[in-house]
Amino acid sequence: MTAEDLKNLKVMRKKMFLAAYAGGSAHLASAFSSAEIFYALYQKKILRTEPGNPQAENRDRLVLSKGHASLAWYASLAMAGFISEEELYTFIQPGTRLSGEPCPNGVPGIEAATGSLGHGLSLGLGMALAAKLDQKDFHTYVILGDGECQEGTIWEAVMAAHKYQLGNLTAILDCNKIQKMGFIEETMRISSWRSKWESFGWQVDEIKDGHDLDEICEVLRRKNDENIPRLVVANTTKGKGVSIMENNPNWHYKMPNRREMKTFVSELEISEKELEKCREHI
Amino acid sequence: MQRAYMSALCELAEKDRNVLSLLADSGTGYDELFRRYFPKQMLDFGIAEENMVAAAAGLALCGKIPFVYTAGAFLAYRSFEFIRDDVCFQNLNVKIVGMGAGLSWSTLGSTHHTTEDLGALRSLPNLTILSPSCPKEVEKAVKAAYDIKGPVYIKIGMNNEPDIYREEEPFVVGRNRELRSGKDLCVYTTGSIASEVLTAAELLEKKGLDIGVVNVPTIKPLDTAEILDRAVKYNTILTVEEHSITGGLGSAVAEVLAESDVKVRFRRIGLRNCFAAGYGTHAQVKAANGLDAAGIAEQILAAQK
Repeated sequence: MTAEDLKNLKVMRKKMFLAAYAGGSAHLASAFSSAEIFYALYQKKILRTEPGNPQAENRDRLVLSKGHASLAWYASLAMAGFISEEELYTFIQPGTRLSGEPCPNGVPGIEAATGSLGHGLSLGLGMALAAKLDQKDFHTYVILGDGECQEGTIWEAVMAAHKYQLGNLTAILDCNKIQKMGFIEETMRISSWRSKWESFGWQVDEIKDGHDLDEICEVLRRKNDENIPRLVVANTTKGKGVSIMENNPNWHYKMPNRREMKTFVSELEISEKELEKCREHI
Repeated sequence: MQRAYMSALCELAEKDRNVLSLLADSGTGYDELFRRYFPKQMLDFGIAEENMVAAAAGLALCGKIPFVYTAGAFLAYRSFEFIRDDVCFQNLNVKIVGMGAGLSWSTLGSTHHTTEDLGALRSLPNLTILSPSCPKEVEKAVKAAYDIKGPVYIKIGMNNEPDIYREEEPFVVGRNRELRSGKDLCVYTTGSIASEVLTAAELLEKKGLDIGVVNVPTIKPLDTAEILDRAVKYNTILTVEEHSITGGLGSAVAEVLAESDVKVRFRRIGLRNCFAAGYGTHAQVKAANGLDAAGIAEQILAAQK
C-alpha cells in the first residue's frame, strides 16, 4: 500500500462524506467499510473494465448486493473516470443518476439495480451462468454484506453456484460484523463463514484486514479453483476512517450532528471551503 | 396447455439459442422432451423460485431470454419481490410462465391455487400479462411473448382445456377477441374458464337470453378501447374469472368503466374475498365455488334481474 494509495483512500472517504453531506444522507458507515474493496477492484484493476468502453462484452461484472454502500461504488467510479467528480456531488438529489441504492440509470459501470437485500448473489449467478453457457471469459464479482446473509435467497444462490460449477464467480463478503440494530453475533449468532460456505462446496479465502490494500489485492488476485465458486471473506470495520463511527451500530444510517461534525471535519481533513461548496448543492 | 407451451418453446429454442427454459424442480414429461433436444438450454434451479427469478434477470442482463416456468402461485406470491425488483424495475427480457392457473390443482387446495396472481402482478410497471384460454392460444401467446423485448407473465391452465376458437385468428397482444355475439348482455372472461362461460351462454340461450362473450387474452395492457366501445351497446356487463374478483379481470374492467362516462350496470363473478372451498376434480371444485357453467349461468341470471 503506497503513500499515494493511503492519500487517495483518505480523499475517497472525504468525497463520499461530502457527497452525502450535499445530498443530506447516506449509509456512510457501510460505504466506509467497503472503501478499500472498491479501491482494489477499480484503482488496482482487479476488475477488468475500462471507463472508455464500459459496455465491452467481455468486461468483468460487478454487483453490489449490499446496495446501501453505493457511495463507495460511485466514488470509485468517479476516481476511475467512469463518471465525473462533479456528478458525485449530485448523489440522491433531484435529477441525479446516483441513487441511494444502485440503479443502472445509464451510469457507466453499474450493471444491475439492487437495494432489497438477498438479490445480488442470484443476479451475479445468472451473469456467471450466461458467461459459462456462451464460453465467455469474463468474471463476475458480487459484494455481499454479512448481515445480508440472513436472507434465505443467499443460500439458494450458494447451492446453485456449486451445482453449476461456476469457477467464474467470486463473492466478496464485507464482513463488518454489524447490522442495522446491532452486532450480527447477537442478532443471529452466525459464526464461521468458512465452514458454512465450504460445506456448500465453495472455495473460501480470507482477508484478515479488509482495509489492508496489499492483502485485499493479493487474495482477490488468486484464481478460483477450476469450476469452483469462491467466497472471499474480508474482515472490515464498519465506519472505518472516522473514529466515532467505527464499529458502532448507531451509525448504520445517520449523519453527524453539529458536535460530531467536528470529528468528521478533523479526521477527514475537510476544509470550510469544501463544506461551503457542498452547501451550494443543498 | 403445458404441451402447447412446450411445443412453442421448443420452436423458439431451436430458432434462437439464447432462449432458455428455467425450472424450479417443476418439469413434466414435456420438459424431458425439451431436455433431450436442447440440453444446454435447460436449467433446473431446484426448489428455489426466488433465486431462479433473480438469476433469470442476471442471465437476461447478458443477452439470454429465460422462460421461467413453475406454479403460478409460487411465482406470483413467493417470488413477487424478485419479479418486481430484478425483472420489472430493470425492464429485463424475462418471461415468467405460471402454470396451474386458477383452481387447476383442485385436490391440493389454496396453497396451490393461482387465484390472486393477477391482483399481485397487474400493479407492476413494465410487465405485460397474457392469459390464454386454450392450447392454440397458449402457443401464440408464448411466441408473442418472445417478440416482446421486456418482461411478460403468461398464466396457463393444465386441465385439458378445449380449443375455443372456431377459426384461426391472429393473436394480437392487447386485443380482446369476441367468442360469441349476443344482444342481451356481455360477459368478459379470461383464461381456462372461457369454455365454461361459453357453455353457460348456451344454457342461458335455452332460457331465451342472448349473451355475448368476449375473451381477454391480454390482461395488461388491457384493451380499454374495445371495452368502452362495447359498454355503450349494453345495459349490463359482467366479468367471469377463475380468480379473486379483487385485483383481477373484474377489477381491471371496473377501473376502465369507473374512469369513463359510460353508464352501464356492471357485476363481477369469481372468488369473492375468500379462498376457494373444497377439494376434488377441477370440475368439482369449480362447481363448489359457483364457477362451473351452471353456477356461472345462475349468477349471470341473477345479475340480469
